[in-house]
Amino acid sequence: MDLIYSLIAVIGTLVVSFIVSLFLPGIERKFIHARIQQRVGPPITSPGIMAPIKFFFKQTITPESPMPRLYNALPLISLIIIVILLLFLIPQMYFLGALASIIAIIGLLKVEEIMYMFMGSLSRSVLSVRMPFPDRAKGAAHPETPRSFFEDLSSLRAFRLIAFGSFPIYIALFVSVAMAGSIYLSDIIAYQQIHGPILFTVAGALGAIVFFIGYMILLNEYPFSILKGKPDVVEGPYLEYAAKYRAYVYMTRGFLMFTLATLFATLFLGIAPNILNPSFIITLIVALIFPMLMAVMSAFSPIFTYKQFYPTVAAVSIVGVLAIVAAFL
Amino acid sequence: MDDKKENRTVIEAEVPMGTVHPAALEPYRLRLFVEDEIVRDAEMTVGVNHRGVERIMEGLPVEKANSLTEKICGICSNIHIWNSCRVAETALGIELPERAMYIRVIMGELERLHSHLLYLAHGCEVLGHETFSMRLFYIRETVMDLLGMIGGNRVQYGSAVLGGVRPRCELDQMRIQKITEGMDLIEEKLTAFADRFVSDPMVMSRITGVGVTSAEDALRLACSGPTLRATGVKSDLRTGMFEYDPFEFDVITQEDGDVKSQLLMRVFENFEAVKIIRQAIRDLPDGPITNRSWEMKDVPITKSYIEAPRGTLYHSYALEDGRVRNSVIRTPSMANIGAMQYSAIGHHITDAQLCIVQCDPCFTCTDRAIQIIKI
Repeated sequence: MDLIYSLIAVIGTLVVSFIVSLFLPGIERKFIHARIQQRVGPPITSPGIMAPIKFFFKQTITPESPMPRLYNALPLISLIIIVILLLFLIPQMYFLGALASIIAIIGLLKVEEIMYMFMGSLSRSVLSVRMPFPDRAKGAAHPETPRSFFEDLSSLRAFRLIAFGSFPIYIALFVSVAMAGSIYLSDIIAYQQIHGPILFTVAGALGAIVFFIGYMILLNEYPFSILKGKPDVVEGPYLEYAAKYRAYVYMTRGFLMFTLATLFATLFLGIAPNILNPSFIITLIVALIFPMLMAVMSAFSPIFTYKQFYPTVAAVSIVGVLAIVAAFL
Repeated sequence: MDDKKENRTVIEAEVPMGTVHPAALEPYRLRLFVEDEIVRDAEMTVGVNHRGVERIMEGLPVEKANSLTEKICGICSNIHIWNSCRVAETALGIELPERAMYIRVIMGELERLHSHLLYLAHGCEVLGHETFSMRLFYIRETVMDLLGMIGGNRVQYGSAVLGGVRPRCELDQMRIQKITEGMDLIEEKLTAFADRFVSDPMVMSRITGVGVTSAEDALRLACSGPTLRATGVKSDLRTGMFEYDPFEFDVITQEDGDVKSQLLMRVFENFEAVKIIRQAIRDLPDGPITNRSWEMKDVPITKSYIEAPRGTLYHSYALEDGRVRNSVIRTPSMANIGAMQYSAIGHHITDAQLCIVQCDPCFTCTDRAIQIIKI
């Protein structure tokens, strides 16, 4: 009976999460961006559901890439990583021990970040070097300079995000660790069942702010979208994806939005995702609030360059460190 | 101008962009030579959209050729046909009715409003601030409606004809009332936008001190129009145009020559355009709008310079049996390309497109200027 209950909980949670995640991009664009910008906006199902369905029925082409198969496989790998991440957050999977801990979560998120680096370095779009244009005609400037695709910039920026950009979210994760005194999710939830949600403490409130900024950075949303900024690298690592592989990209983003919000609910509210638990509704509410807040922020922000990005990350990281110090106190 | 070049230490890589790129409204090739992600040199190439308008004009009756010039630009179409008519009117000694001159000025300033608002919206889009961009497009809609009301089209109004303006563009009381209301609305909305824009610290951080061109460099690079005025040089052809003699307006300048100055320059110029339109409506003289009493004759090449929204626009041609010969058109973006390349140097690659956009490029119009280099 327990096994059936657990199976229903795990599979049901994954399925419901996946369905809800498909609506998040539409909610973000229809109800926030479009409302702020005083336009009608797309149908709510368009960005997250109809677009992937459409792309699944498009002809698959081989992308311009040194390793096209690997390049095409990366969005699917990303999706699988996020599914695994959500799986470890479900209480029925806590028997896995170290895999259901902060360390495993950080590891999986890091792998997710590395995917962008690979995608960027493997993309070779026609918008850059491959454009048949007589760049090196007589009189051209610096004809001997090595040439670089602008997706390479995305790859470089992904590396920088791994190095410093994702500090905030990882620091925020350790706020709950410091409060609960354990890296295991089960212990963090148990701590909050006794002492109340971490969010309602000073350390937790600061940590939540830091987590939210980290959430936006990890999702490459404006103003932190240096990986896929329209003025220079366009779609960056995703530029060459077409047909079903682009559908995976869309689905992955929606699912990552949901999973990170679930992670927040687990670590700061003590509510693990479980479809059979009525408190799952709070997880869903958090999953809705996060993209909405992010959409409000992004609608009123320009894209940051490093000049704004570095100080923002540094300032937010300092707040995160203060939150950890407050947690220990 | 050499100070930026002296800073150029290492060029690690060339990052080419275009001719197709979402940040560029029009096709052009941009080669950025970078050290890490800092631009050390830049090279822009236009010429992929050459339509040969001057060649098509060759031998056409002057009225048809004038209409053709309107097709050069989708943003400043009116100023092209106005200047082309001006060439023939100067050459043939055609006197313009005063009312026609006023209507031409109204159309010209409405076009300046819509061009500058489009520029601001595009600038905000390249900044990544889509909300500001959308709001500016909404403000621009009022101007587009007015242009559509007067000329019958939102883009190519065909208002100027030889000797005056088209009868379709006559301003009756209803139209005057609508223009007055439109100006009030634009002034109110643009003021609110400008207040919001300059008080946004994130936007200011992105545009202050970026893409700086000094007045000396702008003059040396032969910049024109608002691009030049944003560096502090008080230069506006409208002050010398007889059409603008009855109107009082200030030549707006900014001091810093950066993206912020360029953007604010257009905002303030819009307020001046509103001021001119209000004066023109208030003092609009009665009388005919077209002078039909002129005769065609052969004339040598005649030149006309006019202040287009982007800067100095040049048209010249000769007339032979009523047909156009040796037509030459030079658009303002041709003069400003140097500043676009130069201002990107020393800045982050994300700011490079912003540095180009700050000079208000219109390359599809520019693509008629070709230089044949003998190899």
